[in-house]
Amino acid sequence: MASWKTMDPAHKRYVIRTNLFMAGYVAVNVAAITGAFDQIIGTSAGVALGLCVAAPIAGQLWATLSLMNEADEFVRALTAKRFIIASGLAMALFSGWGFAESYGTAPHAPGWIIYPLFWGLFGLVSPFVKSSGR
Amino acid sequence: MKNTLRELRTGKGWTQEQLGQALGVSRQAVNALETEKHDPSLDLAYRIAALFERAVEDVFDNPHA
Repeated sequence: MASWKTMDPAHKRYVIRTNLFMAGYVAVNVAAITGAFDQIIGTSAGVALGLCVAAPIAGQLWATLSLMNEADEFVRALTAKRFIIASGLAMALFSGWGFAESYGTAPHAPGWIIYPLFWGLFGLVSPFVKSSGR
Repeated sequence: MKNTLRELRTGKGWTQEQLGQALGVSRQAVNALETEKHDPSLDLAYRIAALFERAVEDVFDNPHA
């Protein structure tokens, strides 16, 4: 992993954008956990709040696509490969869990888990995906 | 794809970082090319060949030849 000093400009912009979007995501959720939105939980305003939390997620995806646009062809191909593998695994795992809920006795997993699950898997597969091709 | 990039680069006394700057790609991309973890696009292959004033096939082995 490159340090900030040796990091290329595209990656620096990606890190800044990611931190900004994730700060928003964490701030809203920490506020909700600590009771800042207790009056609106379970109301239509709560639904709107839930959708607002998705905005930083969309922003983070934009940051990733921007990195792919601004980086060189190797980084672009590598990021795409890791992204596809991680999203495929996240969808398979989450779908599997959903069916285990429907057909079995698995406890309910909230939908928002797929996002941290995806990035957790992205981090997990990245050290093993170092080639842009086969 | 097998190539002579490392030999050409070290022959010039360049680091991967310096070659990356000359080509407009990251050091990681240069390393991936040298270790055969990335097959370059036609555009990048021509840029590399032009930088070292060689034919593309002098830098990259043609796997179909």
